[in-house]
Amino acid sequence: MDNIFAAHKQQETKGNLSKTIDSVQSLIDLLQTTRDHVAADPSMSALHLAKLQTPVKQSFTKLEEDLKEVNKGMNAYQKALKDKFKTASLPTSTNEVLNEKEDLVNRAIAMHLLREGKFNVARTFVKEVSAKAPPVSEDSEETIDVDMETGQPLNNTRSWIEDLADADDVMIDGMEAVADGELERSGLQKKFTDMYHILDSLRNQHNLEPAIEWARQHSFELENRGSNLEFELARLKFVELYTTEDIMADDPFAGPLRALEYARETFPAFNNRYARETSSLLGSLAFSPELGTSPYKPFFHNSSSFEEASASFTREFCGMLGLSSQSPLYTAVTAGGIALPILEKVERVMAQARGQWTSVNELPVETPLPPGFAFHSIFVCPVSKEQATDANPPMMLPCGHVIARESLDMHSKGKSRMKCPYCPNESHPREAKRVYI
Amino acid sequence: MAELTTTKLDPDNHLLLDQPLLRLPNELLRKNLKTAQRHIEQTNKNVTKDVQAAVGQQPDQALASLEATLAKAQNLKRKLEQLHAEEQSLQRQQRLRIEHLQQLHEIPSLADVKYDTWSHTRLDRLLVDYLLRQGYTQSARELAAEKNINDLVDVDVFEDCGRIEKSLLDGRTQECLSWCSENKQALKKINSNLELELRLQQFIELARSGDVKNQVDAIVHARKHLAGGQDTEFGLRAGGLLAHPPDTLVEPYRMMYSPERYIHLARQFVKTHHELFSLPSQPLLHIALSAGLSALKTPSCHSEYALQANANTGAPVCPICSTELNELARNVPYAHHTKSYMEDDPVVLPNGRVFGRERLKRLNEKLGTDPGKIKDPTDMETEWDERELKKVYIS
Repeated sequence: MDNIFAAHKQQETKGNLSKTIDSVQSLIDLLQTTRDHVAADPSMSALHLAKLQTPVKQSFTKLEEDLKEVNKGMNAYQKALKDKFKTASLPTSTNEVLNEKEDLVNRAIAMHLLREGKFNVARTFVKEVSAKAPPVSEDSEETIDVDMETGQPLNNTRSWIEDLADADDVMIDGMEAVADGELERSGLQKKFTDMYHILDSLRNQHNLEPAIEWARQHSFELENRGSNLEFELARLKFVELYTTEDIMADDPFAGPLRALEYARETFPAFNNRYARETSSLLGSLAFSPELGTSPYKPFFHNSSSFEEASASFTREFCGMLGLSSQSPLYTAVTAGGIALPILEKVERVMAQARGQWTSVNELPVETPLPPGFAFHSIFVCPVSKEQATDANPPMMLPCGHVIARESLDMHSKGKSRMKCPYCPNESHPREAKRVYI
Repeated sequence: MAELTTTKLDPDNHLLLDQPLLRLPNELLRKNLKTAQRHIEQTNKNVTKDVQAAVGQQPDQALASLEATLAKAQNLKRKLEQLHAEEQSLQRQQRLRIEHLQQLHEIPSLADVKYDTWSHTRLDRLLVDYLLRQGYTQSARELAAEKNINDLVDVDVFEDCGRIEKSLLDGRTQECLSWCSENKQALKKINSNLELELRLQQFIELARSGDVKNQVDAIVHARKHLAGGQDTEFGLRAGGLLAHPPDTLVEPYRMMYSPERYIHLARQFVKTHHELFSLPSQPLLHIALSAGLSALKTPSCHSEYALQANANTGAPVCPICSTELNELARNVPYAHHTKSYMEDDPVVLPNGRVFGRERLKRLNEKLGTDPGKIKDPTDMETEWDERELKKVYIS
């Protein structure tokens, strides 16, 4: 990286056209002087012009040299790049799957944008996709085939776009549309609309009410999940009431008083879990109105608190829907970034050895990821070293050892009793039991 | 044997996806320089000629031509100043990009929170790249602006490319031809026959109309542009085409008359364009995403029986199982593992489900199961005696 920096620096200071421009300027000066001489003394014009020939030629030689310098800088930079990025190619083998599924990729992106709270971008995106939507693809026959066989793919396209476009209307029409549309919408579509609406209020308008309402409705589930979202929102509300200036009331304590009232109504419900936090919040009342210098400053002057609450809300909302909390697109692309160098290397080595990976279902190498990226338990049969699948599930022998069914079948072939491969215990193959890992 | 998990960050390998980020500005700078060179050469020729001619002229004529020459030099300066401004903005962009990649070198490990931030920015870059390539330009612009990554993405380059691509799809070759002449040298270097294909298309249009005057024009056109000697094939095909009317069924002439040729041309243009600017032919998002889908996918993700981590277990939902990606990942291979990955102290319930003992206990406490009893938290249907739990050995 240092080399690239250096080469770039070189380019910035030396490898640019400023010198060339200076040279052109001196050419202009030269021409200008000659012109002035000729104008002043026309009788000598032939002499002046004759004298001009060589310097003009030199100027242009100089210009070309200037350019060469720029070019040199560019080559040096390119060389630095080449040293840095030794492999120019990117792995290609697995991408084709995605090329055929543009629609699903688009859907994933639209959902990702919503999650990120980029509502405007999402809206533009949905608009642009649906403008392009009736896809007059080159192999349209094939598309129709798929459609007739399953009735699925094309319908899917339309429905997610409509889903999100609906969500869009809700954004524009506000609460009424939510109430009106309640009956027609269902499933994910409706839920996304809700999330869209609540998040928009929370993040963009700093309106806590819809989120608090939602949290209250799902209070029980939230507690089961061990979430403190409801309390976080109540705390934000407390702070909001505390600090909002009321124009009507000239009492400087109007804010804190309203906050106190809110606390009396709401906080008892949290007493079990958050006794410490609630009492600390109430303690802040003693410092009003000099909060800026009080120990409570971080509670009250925290610009990112709405962002945090939005993130927390998104996490809980998605969790309850069975959607992962981090954007799957983000997780997958990050994992891809980590795994890619390994896959690239494999592809390179395979190409050299003219080998071919025969199993299309499984990657040829391990692609280690950071610990947070493991979401399922994984069972690898200790006998065959294969991962268990629906077709080859894990089987537990009476002794408690687990092997894959294919291994079990091989091991017990033609025998009525078999010994466990890992302990002295003997059992009948029929006694092995399917387990779900 | 490779490690099961890793937090090691090797920035040099990690930047595999990010080469175009640094290569593209360099290509653009080079193009800028080539333009400057062209301007200088042209002015050189004109000025030298003028000055030489002026020597033998009358004084007032000489004065006039000197002034004209002066104007040419000043014009050159103006053009160079424009190019210089462009150059400076490109170099500034280049610096920002280098700095962005440098950030990665300063991150100690994949578990670092800074890596998370960096990776988010990368995702945004890849998304903008994807949107641009698919022609969702407005979305791309908005996303880049909202995420403040305008200097890390190449909206203008792709927009230009999209404009020319569209002009071809609409049946116009002019825009693309002028692009070809702007990049003449570079195209020659990569042995592209894009320009020949376009000239042939012009020829086809002339031949299509059928009247004699146009046919003659077509021949003149072919002599001028298709007989250049690079590839005699084009001249031959053009000659053959003249012998066939537009409604011919004879191949390859039927294909040549077909309007679908424009689709083919558009595709070839995009391919050539990306090659010229060192852009990968596929969206980077596809490359990263398909690798990621595979690296994360397990046989459980599309299994009918596998334990679905639902709300009751409180486990994070797998991104591949999540609605967004599930269908997309159906046909990609799953990750390769050589070791089982299990919670500590696994036990099996009478219904065959395996859990870590600690977690199962914790979940049951949360669900309010009576002491000494146990339920499967995923369905909560049956209640068993705790003694029915059986230790299971998974190696």
